[in-house]
Amino acid sequence: MGALSIRKVKKSYGDTHILKGIDLEIENGQFLILVGPSGCGKSTLLNMIAGLDDITSGEIYIADRLVNNLSPKDRDIAMVFQSYALYPNMTVRRNIAFGLEIRKVPKIEQDEIINRVAKTLQMEHLLDRKPAQLSGGQRQRVAMGRALARNPALFLFDEPLSNLDAKLRVEMRTEIKLLHQRLGTTIVYVTHDQIEAMTLGERIAVMKEGEVRQFGTPQQLYDLPSDLYVAGFIGSPSMNFIPCVLGEADGVGVVTLNNGKEDQLISLGQISDIQRPFVGKPVILGIRPEQLTDPASAHSDHPNMQILTAMVTITEPTGPDTLVTVNINGVKTVARCHPRAAGVPGQSVQLSLDPTKALLFDPVSEKRLA
Amino acid sequence: MADSYRQTTQAKLARMGIYAMLFLLALWFLAPLYVMLTTSFKSLDDIRSGNLLSLPQSFSLDAWKTAWDSACTGVECGGMKGYFGNSLKMMIPAVLISTLLGSLNGYVLSMWRFKGSDAFFMALLIGTFLPFQVVILPMAQVLGMLGLENSTGRLVLVHVIYGLQFTTLFFRNYYVTVPSDLVKAARIDGAGFFLFFFKILLPISIPTIMVCLIWQTTQIWNDFLFGVVFSSGDGQPITVALNNLVNTSTGVKQYNVDMAAAIIAALPTLLVYIVGGKFFVRGLTAGAVKG
Repeated sequence: MGALSIRKVKKSYGDTHILKGIDLEIENGQFLILVGPSGCGKSTLLNMIAGLDDITSGEIYIADRLVNNLSPKDRDIAMVFQSYALYPNMTVRRNIAFGLEIRKVPKIEQDEIINRVAKTLQMEHLLDRKPAQLSGGQRQRVAMGRALARNPALFLFDEPLSNLDAKLRVEMRTEIKLLHQRLGTTIVYVTHDQIEAMTLGERIAVMKEGEVRQFGTPQQLYDLPSDLYVAGFIGSPSMNFIPCVLGEADGVGVVTLNNGKEDQLISLGQISDIQRPFVGKPVILGIRPEQLTDPASAHSDHPNMQILTAMVTITEPTGPDTLVTVNINGVKTVARCHPRAAGVPGQSVQLSLDPTKALLFDPVSEKRLA
Repeated sequence: MADSYRQTTQAKLARMGIYAMLFLLALWFLAPLYVMLTTSFKSLDDIRSGNLLSLPQSFSLDAWKTAWDSACTGVECGGMKGYFGNSLKMMIPAVLISTLLGSLNGYVLSMWRFKGSDAFFMALLIGTFLPFQVVILPMAQVLGMLGLENSTGRLVLVHVIYGLQFTTLFFRNYYVTVPSDLVKAARIDGAGFFLFFFKILLPISIPTIMVCLIWQTTQIWNDFLFGVVFSSGDGQPITVALNNLVNTSTGVKQYNVDMAAAIIAALPTLLVYIVGGKFFVRGLTAGAVKG
């Protein structure tokens, strides 16, 4: 059964097209992340699911029910806001009860629900306080409690952690994930933070300029990004994009990488049918920093592990690894090395490149050449 | 050490200078009140023989009694009490209605924007710059068309209309600082337009409500021009009656009665400021500092 189905949804204000035809579908109990830079339309989409914004065209189904013309309260949803949106004049208890009262839930049942929710979120001691007397993290907890009290078919989270400090954000992130696992809720979660997206999501929709660039599992997005934008957006530090010319030798794709002094031929593996037309043409080689590392740390037993040498321009220790910046084909390229093998600026280091993880992109269409 | 010592003495001197200045200014501004109060307790002989600033020779409340229930305003000689009542009957509904409508307007203009709502707000803003005199003639025509005869009713309507732009401005400026997520949350909870307004928005608007109440009370109670134009006979507000009392030209000029009547007319607004002044300042700055 589909928990949420979004079909060809568009949103326009006059000639400005905010959303240009969105198609998404998730199953019951799934955690969907909408991620993208600000202005990509992710919050608008969430508001449209909630019924707070009109749909220009297309259809939205929640639990197999068309909700286009239903008001927010009839859509069987609950929402957690970035600003928490707690009613300042009411105690925590009344905040949670407010929606229940409107839906005429009997008083005894209300108390039961409030107590159950308070217990789930460990906030029994906060029930008689006003929002102004709560810390940021506690407000966030209450906002989630208010959503839980509804027991809706679908939870909507609008950047709920953005207003928290870094440490609390990580804590609440884990808590949200735990809550999701325990209660099996279906969640749509909007964020601009790719780490939040990767850690929380079971399905991620990367959005840009009103379009879904890629929709898949976190691992799919990480390993096989559909285009340069997704490849650069997911992962930190970002993927290296090295311009080069694709060559072919005995059915194997090769590229030439120049470290400033000499050319080094790197073979990538069997060339695919999609890649073949690009032989002799410029392509972009995409390689993540962790797949470009010192030979001792490269634990791949791939027989064709490629070695190249390059000059270190800067090193940035992170603790477990050191990020080594080198210059390849005229662009800054980051390699993630063992601290002891990182070298010093000006020194030449050997880096091993995993050809099975290297990706090729068309520089014009920006699509991945698979 | 010596340097900092010099600085502190300098700071002390500067502070003393400021206090001295404030004290003198306070005396200056309080002087009229002092003259009014002392004069109102004096007898007519006392006023004639004494000096303006002297204390009363014998303390008497006669002038206050006369002012309240037997002073003559024109041909009527019933004192100020009837007109005081008129002003109350006009002020209370006018203040309450204009405050309530202003908060509703502000709510719509900040949270339920519609096409042209900004233009509408601009038009209202221009209204705050219009002087009373400009409004009088069109207002008279409208009142004529409505056929509203009752003086108090006419004044309530006029003051509600004229006060609305101010109250709307106050509430709108406060409500734009209320996060719009709050309305969204309430909509998802199932609260409609009025439920959200009465259950959530009004309870958090207390400081702004106080500002409006004080502002409108002062404006409406102190108004003379609308009162003199749109009311007649025994339906006149106290400001008009006071004018008539002071300008009555028959008999001896009773300065003590005039002063007592003037203080009576000023008492409600004075009271409002003493009781509500704290809220007034707090409410005016409510949007500026995030609580």
